[in-house]
Amino acid sequence: MIVFDGVNKYFGDFHVLKEIDLTINKGEVVVVIGPSGSGKSTLLRCINRLETISGGSLSINGLNVADKKTDINKLRRNIGMVFQHFYLYPHKTVLENIMLAPRKVLGQSEAEAKKIALKYLEKVGIGDKANSFPSQLSGGQQQRVAIARGLAMGPEIMLFDEPTSALDPEMIGEVLDVMKALAHEGMTMVVVTHEMGFAREVADRIVFMDEGKILEEATPAEFYANPREERARLFLSRILNH
Amino acid sequence: MLDFSILTENLDMYLLGFKNTILSSLIALVASLILGILVAIMRIAPIKPLNWLGTAYVEFIRNIPLLIITFFFFLGLKLSGLYAGTLALTIYTSSFIAEAIRAGILSVPKGQMEAARSSGLSYGQAMRLVILPQAVKIVIPPLGNQFINLVKNSSILAVVAGLDLMYHGDLISSRTFVVFDVYIFVAAFYLILTIPLSIGVGYLEKRLAKSN
Repeated sequence: MIVFDGVNKYFGDFHVLKEIDLTINKGEVVVVIGPSGSGKSTLLRCINRLETISGGSLSINGLNVADKKTDINKLRRNIGMVFQHFYLYPHKTVLENIMLAPRKVLGQSEAEAKKIALKYLEKVGIGDKANSFPSQLSGGQQQRVAIARGLAMGPEIMLFDEPTSALDPEMIGEVLDVMKALAHEGMTMVVVTHEMGFAREVADRIVFMDEGKILEEATPAEFYANPREERARLFLSRILNH
Repeated sequence: MLDFSILTENLDMYLLGFKNTILSSLIALVASLILGILVAIMRIAPIKPLNWLGTAYVEFIRNIPLLIITFFFFLGLKLSGLYAGTLALTIYTSSFIAEAIRAGILSVPKGQMEAARSSGLSYGQAMRLVILPQAVKIVIPPLGNQFINLVKNSSILAVVAGLDLMYHGDLISSRTFVVFDVYIFVAAFYLILTIPLSIGVGYLEKRLAKSN
């Protein structure tokens, strides 16, 4: 479904992604971990072309993402994205935040968009906040709205870029619960995170990155029990033993 | 003590000038706002030649005196004083408005555009529905300053016989040989325009801040 084939990416002289080969299948949950600056977020952002790749090829359902002829807006309808800092629209209510793209991109009627928005708000457990403004919500609630906003477009793929990194520890659980439920429903998910518990429990595959390269790809069981790479072993020992 | 007979005896001239100043300011205000928004978007849009064009416009216009722009239309293109002055005022102010609006747009976090684009909205839709409504709040105070400056700068019309308030003040002064009192009343008329503008901008600022 998502296929990276020899993908390279530069920011000026900085080589962020080096010869990335990665295939993500339909319904799979892939968790990308690694030290900061290893290129995890960039990898994720290439998938919906928030970053353009410098070389190699990247395709989604056989469609070349980098090709200028690819209708990027059409491609993005099918890919929801959740950011570390939520990026809800502060001038719109929760409901309006969720309804905007379905109305303007999919051309849904007001009533239809509202029905769908409320359905997903219920699903993420904050149906009662429909008419609040983002600034009136806690971080965890805002992130759940952001997830509902992504889901309302009915995407095949959801991307999560460190969705819990900006949250108070108390609120991480409520966001991860929503993500777990989503994973069990068979959503294709690519998640950049430092939440090792989530990775171990939910991921079908763990991708470990360092310095722009994928060093290791394994099931959580394999990866946590016995990481092959020395760098991965070091990384795990640092974040698990404290 | 102020001689109020200057005001009462020349009231029709004062009012004619006042009317023209309002007319010229109002037209320049609306036109420079539209022009300023267009130039701001040119400077920000992801199309290089448009960026250059917008930058060249702003840097050229805002760095020459308003008087010279006015002379260009008055002496160069031989427009009437009122037209030349209003046109010059529009173009001059638009370069400052473009900068204020550009700064407002840039101060909206980059993630807002990314979130909007990643949901499938086009650049234009994201700009119109997500970025600009947030930028407006930030832009209101500097825009208010520009509008107040615009009203005061409209006195440039007097130099090219633009029939505005200042021009009529000059006229009354040369007729009556009174200087001080005449211009005090001229200043009072300007205040009638600029003070409500200040208050209005302040009110708008407060109301928009509340909705956040």
